[in-house]
Amino acid sequence: MIKTTLRSSTHPLAAYIEQLKTGGGLVPDRPENVLEVVGILKSYGVVLEAYYKNLLYIAEHQFLELFPFFKYFNGEVSPAKLLRHWWHDRINFEYAEYCMKAMFWHGGGGLDAYLDSPEFRTRAQSVIQAKVQGNWLISGLNQLFPEFLPEQVRQFTYYSALGQFWRVMSEIFLTLSDHYDQGKIESIPQVVAHIQAGLVAAATLPITYAVTVRGQVYDIIPESVGLTFLPDTAVPYVEAVFFRGTPFLGTVSYNAQANQISPDPSRFNYGALYADPLPIGGAGIPPTLLMQDMRHFLPEYLHQVYRQNLRGEDDLRVQICQSFQKSMFCVTTAAILGLAPYPLDTADPEQQQANQSYFEQWMDRFLSSRLEDVQA
Amino acid sequence: MLSALIWIPILGVALLGFWPSPIADNRTRRLALIVAGVALLWTIILASRFSAANVGPQFLENLPWIEPLGLSYKLSLDGLSLPLVAINSLLTWIAIYSSDESIHRPRLYYALILLINAGVAGAFLAQNLLLFFLFYELELIPLYLLIAIWGGPRRGYAATKFLIYTAVSGILILAAFLGLTGLSGSSSFNYNPLLTQALPLGQQFLLLGALLVGFGIKIPLVPFHTWLPDAHVEASTPVSVLLAGVLLKLGTYGLLRFGLGLFPEAWAIWAPWLASWAVVSVLYGAFTAIAQKDMKQMVAYSSIAHMGYVLLACAAATPLSILGTVFQMISHGLISALLFLLVGVVYKKTGSRDLNVLRGLLNTERGLPLIGSLMVLGVMASAGIPGMVGFISEFLVFRGSFPVFPTQTLLCMVGTGLTSVYFLLLVNNTFFGRLTVPSQGTQRLGDVNLPPVQWVERTPAIALTILIFVLGLQPGWMVRWTETTTTALVVNSTVAQVSTAANGFKADSAMRVPIKAAPATRPLPNGETLRSDLSVIVPRSGSND
Repeated sequence: MIKTTLRSSTHPLAAYIEQLKTGGGLVPDRPENVLEVVGILKSYGVVLEAYYKNLLYIAEHQFLELFPFFKYFNGEVSPAKLLRHWWHDRINFEYAEYCMKAMFWHGGGGLDAYLDSPEFRTRAQSVIQAKVQGNWLISGLNQLFPEFLPEQVRQFTYYSALGQFWRVMSEIFLTLSDHYDQGKIESIPQVVAHIQAGLVAAATLPITYAVTVRGQVYDIIPESVGLTFLPDTAVPYVEAVFFRGTPFLGTVSYNAQANQISPDPSRFNYGALYADPLPIGGAGIPPTLLMQDMRHFLPEYLHQVYRQNLRGEDDLRVQICQSFQKSMFCVTTAAILGLAPYPLDTADPEQQQANQSYFEQWMDRFLSSRLEDVQA
Repeated sequence: MLSALIWIPILGVALLGFWPSPIADNRTRRLALIVAGVALLWTIILASRFSAANVGPQFLENLPWIEPLGLSYKLSLDGLSLPLVAINSLLTWIAIYSSDESIHRPRLYYALILLINAGVAGAFLAQNLLLFFLFYELELIPLYLLIAIWGGPRRGYAATKFLIYTAVSGILILAAFLGLTGLSGSSSFNYNPLLTQALPLGQQFLLLGALLVGFGIKIPLVPFHTWLPDAHVEASTPVSVLLAGVLLKLGTYGLLRFGLGLFPEAWAIWAPWLASWAVVSVLYGAFTAIAQKDMKQMVAYSSIAHMGYVLLACAAATPLSILGTVFQMISHGLISALLFLLVGVVYKKTGSRDLNVLRGLLNTERGLPLIGSLMVLGVMASAGIPGMVGFISEFLVFRGSFPVFPTQTLLCMVGTGLTSVYFLLLVNNTFFGRLTVPSQGTQRLGDVNLPPVQWVERTPAIALTILIFVLGLQPGWMVRWTETTTTALVVNSTVAQVSTAANGFKADSAMRVPIKAAPATRPLPNGETLRSDLSVIVPRSGSND
């Protein structure tokens, strides 16, 4: 039997491939990185919890409300809460919707395919009929523009899908923080392993969606469609939010008509792993919204680190973003390892080769990302 | 009373320079601040006792000094020198306050700054030509040392160039003063507007020409300007503040006091050429500023352009335009001091002033947002946006000069438009876009982390900005000190011309036309007169009525 040795990769980021193959992560394993990543994931977990509850609330209780004035109130409307909302003492739920729209727009996975199927159309039509019944204006408009309401229903399915995805992720991040507090997590590979285990455990969790209209339950994504957590929400989410994103970055203006934005969305690289943390602080820029939210829930040990840095509290949101980016590279590591075609310790050269090609494909996408920056 | 303005800083110089035991660095700074603060306070007290309605010199001090030379220690204050003395005291305090706390050789440094303060105050107060010259020269040495010791990499070159240019300026001025006194047969160098009346026009032209070149170097006017951008670029921030805010004003003050004040007849004949010279200076300064890539150099060239307005207004010599010159001096002093302070902070934090490198400094988290906002306000003030002092001064200058020299005024107004061009370039390049500073070592693009700006670095700029707004919204608060004097200056010039024409009629100081009895008028080419009707834009204060 001829024994071949696997040629080492000539990829510019080959060093990271070696790290992945030997159980390392994309983020250097240093105690300060562990502290930063776990600390930020703790506050992210808290924020995600608020986001997912609101997304599910909107999907279930604001379904086809065309003027959802109180969609961020989770059903509790009171003058005091309204004042706090106007005073902006609240979570920026807009960020969750921004991610939902990024997923909706980029598509991918079984959910995207299902939304174009005749089955979805039939189910959507029946729930639309039930909803607009007796509303002559909307019924008429529905006749005139028959694609409008089904598209709204598609969007609500994404509200629900992202809500369900984040419910799992929030749980993973909060338990990670608990384990860290208990001294069970001490290295970046352990962080990655924790996330990977969480993803694997939830991989086959069914994704379903039903709404109640006039007392009757309408299944929009029944369990029989077979949508599950990992392939139909997690992977499209990583693709849409971590990699592709949307070209609204704040101080950098892109001109689509001058072809500054690729006409092919699969070549977009405006996602979280590519985001420039410096424009943070601009009003209405989506990353700023998230960093603002996380700022409220920073664990004290992390806040202490930020305060000791050069500009202290002045650039808190940029520092949060930099830590967040590190943590997202950890999540990406977990996803890459979890999706690898063969076990990393395989002895079969063909399988090793396949794994290598798989990693190289990922590295191609990291070429212009912030991977090098988070090494600092 | 006035002597205190000169001797308080000199006392500070003596304390700092000759105190036998070592003084801790922070105490040196504190002592300098106290001395400059007392001088500033004294200026405010003097201003509060100053009678705005009084045309003549006030707080007169006259001590004989070297009688055979005609040199006497004669000081006084009028509406022309009061604002300049005030801005000198204010900017000296600000310059000391904004000096680096860890500056090396602090005793020498602060002593030199206080010496400049004394010299400039003396020059603005002197009523004796020789005394003015002594003070004018006195500030030269400390400024040379401040650039040569605490300056940038090419400080030796810049300081020497400054020294040579300004020394030539001093020689020309001294020659003009000697010539004037000698030719007029006077035994004293005391300032006397009637000294030139007996002189033939040819001699007046010669003397005025020497003064114009002498002060033209100091202002500076094109083509005598080349020392200024070099000096600014190499000087440290506080020195630039003093240089732009105070020292250039010695030139314009001299032009007004000694050029227009002593040679009204020759001045009137040359006025059209002077106005055209102003146009050249303004447009050259503005166009050159557009081409600059160094923030400090851009502000320096803008100074050249803005000082050109003063020459235009001096040439027009209407009551309104002369008021405009004083306003423009103060406004330029405040605005350029502000701009240099801000550029100084940018340089300190980013290590660069290069318009091709710096970007996005308005970044709210990691940039210099407050400094950037003040910079936007500063350049707006410089471009003459209403509501700020730059608008008032430029409006006064243009409104006062237009009836006399319409073409030149219009061309100078183009310079105002160009101010917006180069300063928008500056603001757009350095403060907008994605934050970028020169890379430091292996630092990657994404990790720009500028040191935070301390409040001690912001406060002087904020104070100047407030002042720029206050004088922009309430110009009457400054006009009331100055208007009487500047109007009288024009009237005196007119009287002097008339009396010379009356062939041998000897006017004396009693001939001074009281401002109330005869409103200031100046004949225009078309035979009309232009009244000093400031109520058009400036509300008159009660004490003036």
